[in-house]
Amino acid sequence: MGFDMEQTDQLILDTAHRLFTDQCGADVVNGAERGEAPERLRQAILDAGLTLAWVPEAAGGVGGSLALGLNLIRQAAGFALPVPLADALVANLLLAESGLAVTERWAALAFDGDELPVLLQGEVNGVVAAAAGAPEAAVLVVPVTEKGVVKIATFAPSTIEMEHQESLAGEARTRVILKSAIPGQLSGPVDGMTADGLKQFCALVRACQIAGALEKIGELTVGYVKERQQFGRPLGKFQAVQHKVADIAGESALAGAAVEQAVRRVSAHPEPFSGDSDIFLPLATAKVVASEAAGKVTRDAHQAHGAMGFSFEYPLQQYSRRVWSWREEFGSEFYWSERLGMAVAAEISALGAGEVAGCAWDAVSR
Amino acid sequence: MESVRFNFPAPEIDQSVDELRKEVRAFLDEERRSGGFVPVTDCWCAGVDPAFSRKLGRQGWIGVTWPRQYGGRELSALHRYVITEELLVAGAPVHAHWIADRQSGPLILATGTEDMKRNILPRIAAGECFVALGLSEPESGSDLASVRTRAHRVEGGWEITGTKLWSSGAQHCQYMTVLARTGERDPNRRHEGLTQFLVPLDSPGVTVRGIRDMSGVEHFNESHFEKVFVPDDAVLGQVGEGWKQITSELALERSGPERFLSTFVALERALQQGAAAMTGHQAAVVGSIIARIRALRAMSLGVAALLGQGHSPEVEAALVKDLGTRLEQDIIERLREFWPVRMKQGYGDELQYLLSDSLLRQPSFTLRGGTNEVLKGIIARGMGLR
Repeated sequence: MGFDMEQTDQLILDTAHRLFTDQCGADVVNGAERGEAPERLRQAILDAGLTLAWVPEAAGGVGGSLALGLNLIRQAAGFALPVPLADALVANLLLAESGLAVTERWAALAFDGDELPVLLQGEVNGVVAAAAGAPEAAVLVVPVTEKGVVKIATFAPSTIEMEHQESLAGEARTRVILKSAIPGQLSGPVDGMTADGLKQFCALVRACQIAGALEKIGELTVGYVKERQQFGRPLGKFQAVQHKVADIAGESALAGAAVEQAVRRVSAHPEPFSGDSDIFLPLATAKVVASEAAGKVTRDAHQAHGAMGFSFEYPLQQYSRRVWSWREEFGSEFYWSERLGMAVAAEISALGAGEVAGCAWDAVSR
Repeated sequence: MESVRFNFPAPEIDQSVDELRKEVRAFLDEERRSGGFVPVTDCWCAGVDPAFSRKLGRQGWIGVTWPRQYGGRELSALHRYVITEELLVAGAPVHAHWIADRQSGPLILATGTEDMKRNILPRIAAGECFVALGLSEPESGSDLASVRTRAHRVEGGWEITGTKLWSSGAQHCQYMTVLARTGERDPNRRHEGLTQFLVPLDSPGVTVRGIRDMSGVEHFNESHFEKVFVPDDAVLGQVGEGWKQITSELALERSGPERFLSTFVALERALQQGAAAMTGHQAAVVGSIIARIRALRAMSLGVAALLGQGHSPEVEAALVKDLGTRLEQDIIERLREFWPVRMKQGYGDELQYLLSDSLLRQPSFTLRGGTNEVLKGIIARGMGLR
């Protein structure tokens, strides 16, 4: 059973990999920022059903595990996809989890980890400062709160006030302003979902994207220092350059290991959007480590690439700008570190100083 | 394009592993409360207490993965991992048996004679027999293939002459594994002609002299071998296999929890003192350290799983040690912000003592078992750059 599932997952990942390789070359990524909309890529992703990976088969989706979708997100980030696949996946997941109808076109995720818009007497009020995927969306998916309970609401984009902006990486980030807005669809309370649990899950999504992009940055760097010759030999033959590459490999491996552990834990948890302490530790760890690695790896990679890596034409910058943007979203390393430290301190205080020796250790080994 | 994606599989943790962890924790809590040991930082190198090692031997916690007939319990590598990490975070004095449990025992198991296995392994598992490493020399550090210690064939065995340096804990050990040149030195084949011997340290011609380190501990040694005779069956494996043995030993040596938990005991004590009045800034520093340790542990357990599956994850192990040993140092540097480190004995304050001792010991973390520069070279080779 487990093996079959793994095989199916791998099949889907392989299909996606071929699709991205064929349709998402560096020219497509740069072109998207020059105003050439990646229509073929968008359509191919929809046709392949990738945005529905987390939608049950009964609702017309793939019925994939959380691990499958998160691995797909990590893989897509390795192509700097100029399409909001990750956010559409989460938006469709919210629709499916809450029993609402799923769209086969693009769904925008109007959630950025800050306070949820408020539902009162059938009307929604509030602002989402950085929704993802809004410009091309057929539907806005908005987690809202009613008396502390999370529900999912949808809106037709044309009916909602929006201000479109771009992230550092040129990804659409939209201020969504909801004024007495009446949802097109409105779910009941979503079992086991809290606003903080959702924020933790989305932080893991960004951490997976960072991990995928860092691997690509590592590959680009290794390739470049092998090719580029100075002083009569490849840069990679210089020990100083080798050590930079080793540092890139280390930080990237650390982020990868943290992300994989978090993916395993969240996939195995009965309530993955609850913010339960068993998943908080690995999720916070993943976002802290990945976000820290984003800064270190890009610094070393750009140093190894010289001026070439600073040019728009060379692909490195597409990945650098993405990880710089993703590391801030849904909580930076500073935000999650503080929460992690406070959570451990609270556990220690609760037990009383000196009572049990291994409190911090428990938070590490759990 | 060269892949830089590494695989760190999840270990298979069954109930017996969790139970063993609880058992070890309970034992260590009780020992600490009853004064059986005083926690020390870097305990696997600086905490020497042969009596405590014997206690662990009686608990059955040394050599747990070895066959029963040689004193082991045939438990998994993960069982051993759990025992070692619990000992490390408790700051238990485990140096006496550490090397024999981690590396010399498995080496003897893989390459030793049946006699060695029957006579020595059960004594190691009982915490009664300790083994030192004879690798570095006065003229041979990172460039280990340049060792000058020589072994000459004589009637019935070998005669060893040379000097080994920085051997940790040799004064407490009954044996040393000595890397010696047995073949002619060929500049083009530097790794050939090297052989490891298991040498009893009470052999005539052996002198062991302690060397005080900058933290005030005398755990380093200079061991001199003057025409020391060992019989033929002191050879580990085949003559000329020394280099191959050492490189596979190093994979075990490089990825264990002692490569990122050496100063954890200081962090734990700092948190006990600071938890009640923790500021947001302190929490952010502590949280970032804890996240990094968690991630390193996931990597380290992944390497353990790979070793268990029969792989040789040399690059992954080097990554763990490079990142982990730097983290051990960073922990102390970052805690200094809140707990300045001034006095050697910390005025009798346990946290201050652990911090100051950590600081005085930290230069060794990124040197022992292969410097971080050597490790980065291994990683770069793995990336196809050398």
